[in-house]
Amino acid sequence: MGEVTLRGVRKVFGDTEVIPPLDLSIEAGEFVVFVGPSGCGKSTLLRIIAGLEDPTEGTIEIAGRDVTTAEPADRRLAMVFQTYALYPHMNVAENMAFGLEMAKVPKAERTTAVDRAAGILQITELLDRKPRELSGGQRQRVAIGRAIVRDPALFLFDEPLSNLDAELRVQMRLEIARLHSGLSATMIYVTHDQTEAMTMADRIVVLRKGVIEQVGRPADLYGDPDNIFVAGFIGSPRMNFLPATIKGRAPTGAALIDVPRLGLTGLEVPLRRDRVDLPSEVTLGLRPEDFTEPDLGDQQVSLTAEVVENLGGTAYLYTNAGRDDAVVAEVPRRSLPSTGDSVAFGIRGGDCFLFDTDGARI
Amino acid sequence: MKRPLRWNIALGAVLLLLAAMVALPFWFVLTGSIKEPAEIISRTPTMVPQSFTLEHYAKLLAASDYPIYMMNSLLVATVSTVMTLLLAIPAGYAFFRMSFRGRETLYRAILLAYAFPSIVILIPLFGIFAKVGLVDSRIALVLVNVAFALPFAIWLLRSFFAGIPAEIEEAARLDGGAPFTVLRRIMIPLVAPGIAAVAVFAFVTAWTEYVFASVMILSDAKRTVPVGFSGIIGQYQIDWGLLLAGASLSILPVVILFAFVGRWFVAGLTEGAVK
Repeated sequence: MGEVTLRGVRKVFGDTEVIPPLDLSIEAGEFVVFVGPSGCGKSTLLRIIAGLEDPTEGTIEIAGRDVTTAEPADRRLAMVFQTYALYPHMNVAENMAFGLEMAKVPKAERTTAVDRAAGILQITELLDRKPRELSGGQRQRVAIGRAIVRDPALFLFDEPLSNLDAELRVQMRLEIARLHSGLSATMIYVTHDQTEAMTMADRIVVLRKGVIEQVGRPADLYGDPDNIFVAGFIGSPRMNFLPATIKGRAPTGAALIDVPRLGLTGLEVPLRRDRVDLPSEVTLGLRPEDFTEPDLGDQQVSLTAEVVENLGGTAYLYTNAGRDDAVVAEVPRRSLPSTGDSVAFGIRGGDCFLFDTDGARI
Repeated sequence: MKRPLRWNIALGAVLLLLAAMVALPFWFVLTGSIKEPAEIISRTPTMVPQSFTLEHYAKLLAASDYPIYMMNSLLVATVSTVMTLLLAIPAGYAFFRMSFRGRETLYRAILLAYAFPSIVILIPLFGIFAKVGLVDSRIALVLVNVAFALPFAIWLLRSFFAGIPAEIEEAARLDGGAPFTVLRRIMIPLVAPGIAAVAVFAFVTAWTEYVFASVMILSDAKRTVPVGFSGIIGQYQIDWGLLLAGASLSILPVVILFAFVGRWFVAGLTEGAVK
């Protein structure tokens, strides 16, 4: 139950194709996160699955049933909106029971279902209150409660945490994750926040301009991105991208790379797949956290600390801060450099990624 | 920011002036209706009544057709208001919810109905009503009142519907509400202030309508207050006491209506729905 299959789904608004034909399958019980910058079509895709938008072309199956033309209410799904969308004139219990009432569930059963959901979300003492008497976090719980009550095969979340403050967001994140393991329902979660995607997802779908850039487990997207967009989108602070040239091949098959910006020559970077025709101009990607201690690297570089951002647990060093060619490196917090200091790092070729001029991973 | 004292005094003075301008005529009408006739017409008007009598009211209610006019007015205004709401709510919702060609043009065009003075429409409308046998019928007044209240009512209600976040309606759709159920259970409660405003507007428009009531209604037994009342006072001489008592009573239904629907005029009804 609860598996979702999209086949050739395409969406056109007026003259604009927001989603070119797209295929995606989501397994039952999976927690899938759609992530991407704003305007990438992730919310539109979610709304198409929900039935709030009709696809221009293509078919949608939920739990093995073609629901392309079905009403939202007939898709056995529940949706949690970014703005919660509670009914302001009803109290919490009525808000949660409304869907069941529409489905003509007897009153006694409705009460039982509401009480159970309220218990799971610890909002039992709020059942008599109106939405305006609740805090943001409580409203979000009610919105989730309203979804749980209907016992859907599929939960849809549309940026549900973006109106909450940072602390509450972490708390609700854990709660939704717990809910997922407890309910074993399929969940699709839309966010622009890659941290939410990394921490919650079984699989992440990275979208850009309506196109799926990559689908995979969080660790795969982080450790083995398909292209420069995914590499840049996943991970925080984002990956450093530096112009580089391929000078030749090492006996191991790795490419020998010069990176003028870091003063590196002949760095051995393994290729993702062995290819014969390598371009000479490439982009080298290196995550801030892959700047290691000097003696652990294949080669050494030295960076001047223009800005040091100390987050407490970790710290980041910026050169050319704020500019396009800024380089960010994580520094151990026990040896925080001062502004203007030159810091030596080691770089391992195995940590680096190479992208061709089209942004595809080499 | 703290206002200087002289600003507060100035603002207070302006408010008092405005309040006096609105309240004083009411005060004179209400107090005048219980004054002895001699005091009403005395050369120096009295702010506070020096005498008290209910004779004007007694005369009005017992010896004139005023009660009949009152019932006619109540009937016509209430039916007009109910019909206006019954038509304007679905129409306003449709204008907001349905997308069709020319929607915006039509939406603006409905207010054009107010571009014509009623006197211009009066004669052709009388002709039409005469053909279908509606002259001297209270139904004719209801039709006219509804027709005049409706464009503004639709226009106002649509903007109230548009103020409801789209997600609320979508949530209701996901919850399985049929369109009419969503309208009745979710949307109408949320536009209650708009409905209250429309109700008051439609009622007051119908209550005070004079031109059509004076032309369409021929028999005395079907007259409404504005027309019938003007007949009472104008026949031979002006009985000021009677006039003021009638005017006082004619305010009453509107005051009661305000008291009744006033509680729907609450701001921030959708507070807590989103964000």
